[in-house]
Amino acid sequence: MNAKNIFKVCVIGSLGMATLGLTLAFNASIAAAHGERSQEPFLRMRTAQWYDTKWNPQKTAVNDEAMLSGKIHIAEDWPRAVVKPNRTFINVGSPSSVFTRLSSKVNGTPMFTSGPMELGGDYEYVIKLRGRLPGHHHIHPMLAVNGAGPIAGPGGWMDITGNYKDFTNPAKLLVGGTIDTEVAGLAAGLFWHVLWGGLGFAWIGWFMIRPMFLIRARVLAQEGGDALLNDPVDRIVAFGMLGLTFSLIAVGFFTTDHTYPYTVPLQAGEPKIKATHLRSDLTMKVLAADYDVPGRALRMTLQVTNSGETPLSIGEFTTAGIRFLNKVGVANNLDPNYPAEIMAQDGLHMEDESPINPGETREVKLDSRDSLWEVQRLMDLVNDPEQRFGGLVMSWDASGNRHINSIAAAIIPVFTRAAGI
Amino acid sequence: MALFRTAEIIKASKLPPEGVKLSRMIDAVYFLPIAYLGVFATFHMHFDLLAGDWDFWVDWKDRQFWVTVTPIVEVMYPGAIMYYFWTFYRQPFGATLSITGLLVGKWITIVFAWYWWANFPANFVMPATMVSSALILDCTLLLTRSWMLTAIFGVWAFAMVFYPTQYAIFGYSKQPMVVDGQLLSLADYMGFTYVRTGTPEYIRIIEVGSLRTFGGHTVWISAFFSAFVSMLVFTIWWQIGHFVGQAFFWVKGRRGVMSRMNDVMIVGTDDFARRHGTPDGVAPKLSAAGTFAEGKS
Repeated sequence: MNAKNIFKVCVIGSLGMATLGLTLAFNASIAAAHGERSQEPFLRMRTAQWYDTKWNPQKTAVNDEAMLSGKIHIAEDWPRAVVKPNRTFINVGSPSSVFTRLSSKVNGTPMFTSGPMELGGDYEYVIKLRGRLPGHHHIHPMLAVNGAGPIAGPGGWMDITGNYKDFTNPAKLLVGGTIDTEVAGLAAGLFWHVLWGGLGFAWIGWFMIRPMFLIRARVLAQEGGDALLNDPVDRIVAFGMLGLTFSLIAVGFFTTDHTYPYTVPLQAGEPKIKATHLRSDLTMKVLAADYDVPGRALRMTLQVTNSGETPLSIGEFTTAGIRFLNKVGVANNLDPNYPAEIMAQDGLHMEDESPINPGETREVKLDSRDSLWEVQRLMDLVNDPEQRFGGLVMSWDASGNRHINSIAAAIIPVFTRAAGI
Repeated sequence: MALFRTAEIIKASKLPPEGVKLSRMIDAVYFLPIAYLGVFATFHMHFDLLAGDWDFWVDWKDRQFWVTVTPIVEVMYPGAIMYYFWTFYRQPFGATLSITGLLVGKWITIVFAWYWWANFPANFVMPATMVSSALILDCTLLLTRSWMLTAIFGVWAFAMVFYPTQYAIFGYSKQPMVVDGQLLSLADYMGFTYVRTGTPEYIRIIEVGSLRTFGGHTVWISAFFSAFVSMLVFTIWWQIGHFVGQAFFWVKGRRGVMSRMNDVMIVGTDDFARRHGTPDGVAPKLSAAGTFAEGKS
């Protein structure tokens, strides 16, 4: 080895050591969410409007039950680029099955399989969970739409304490008895896999103990080679193996059939869930809306008419599971357990905060302003193929009755401070 | 009396003792690290891409698509691999090698990906096994020594015994239960209870179509259909094996003409040298008769 090669080896060795050193020096942080912020804003703001989401309790033990619940409004202004919600499934976004799901009801109807949802419809979901894997988990409600994919709702943290080894998931059978889904059928499955695998390897091994390739190929190339390789003992073993195989199949089938005399096929139905609809004495029309890029604010001008009998005050604007509140919203709708990282308690501003009186029509300038627009990557709205926004505006009367309006409109980006409505 | 014809076969191969020893080393190196690992890695990928979900999840194992798709996909590689091992070596373990190789790959995935990484219980992601079908296929080829009869009878049985074989493993999951007033099979409930964030329920392709018009005997209608398609697929893949498994040399004769030699076993023999000459500087001792008769491949 000459000096040049020694130098090359030293350089390569040094780089290798440096790489190893970097690996030890820097530790990659744990990824504990699901990339929900990477979903495009139009997908999050104009499809499913999540509200009243609750993670209850936020701390639970292995085997204990918890609840994920809330409401979802299917936006009327569903984007053209997204397949309509003709086949949907309310799912749980979690890092693996950290909870098992015990039941899932949407507007009171069990949702085991997927079904259609109505544009403009409102759905209340209640998902009962059981703690399975200990840890600090980020849990989302999720609307999966066939053809469009999963649309993540707001994510909240839930802790599970205890030991996974203690976990059981008993399921009551219709014909009596209880079965643990964690281990049901496991022993039988392993037994048959080992048995068949053993027979398969034995069959291959039967031919491996003799010359396999080169010698047989040379013999096969000769006259009479084919007949010589047709060993009678192989034919006997093949007959025996055929008989054994068919016998084992029959024993396995009939034994299992005898053990489980009552069976049903997989159920592939479709729940027909009746939607409810938002109720509000206010009618709202978006006259103009812009997105203030440097100010991180969505500014809109609404024409609001109160056709009810009591004055109403706007208190919250929510979109993509992110909430912008003012004092009215905080007083009426502040859930202390709602994740702080997706809620701006002083994020909603109006020029005139006085209640809208019965019969009054007013032009309201509503400004939702917070760094959440950037942190939650909703400012990427300016890169969307269709520049529109959507969301829910919530108002309250003096008695605390809530009125919800779904709004949607085109939006104009404002790239500099000088421009605006 | 010896159990096998091994001594006769070795004698007929006309290899010297060191050649026999070397051939066994080639057997070991070629079979396990190259042939077996190559088959299990590529077949596993091939199968997962074409029929993966039906085999991943217990709540996908329905009476129609699982029964139809799995044998059709699992007979593909055996077709080509059986051609290769049978045609060149008269070895009747191509199907068993393919299917056990596939299962080795599947179990590695189940243990490392599904159980340790994704925390699903092993029973929920238990795969089907078609080793029984593979054994029937290999035995049929050995006994009939005809790929056509193997395609007709062996492949038919290959697909038809699929469901009875799996029933011993998955029969428990068809037990009925009632949750929130809804009838479910245990498999449905397991699919529901173990949350799969990226695999919502509507992804399942199960129990869709009009096969139920056959008096509810969906499984057997599916199995028959699968068997017939499997025969066709096996034949196609046998021919793919033939196409890919061709072995020949282009050799330059005495007068400089290139010709294709299909009989690879004759290359390097005295007979070959007598007919086609030798490279410059090599002077073989030519015997009166060739070492080998005209070979066949």
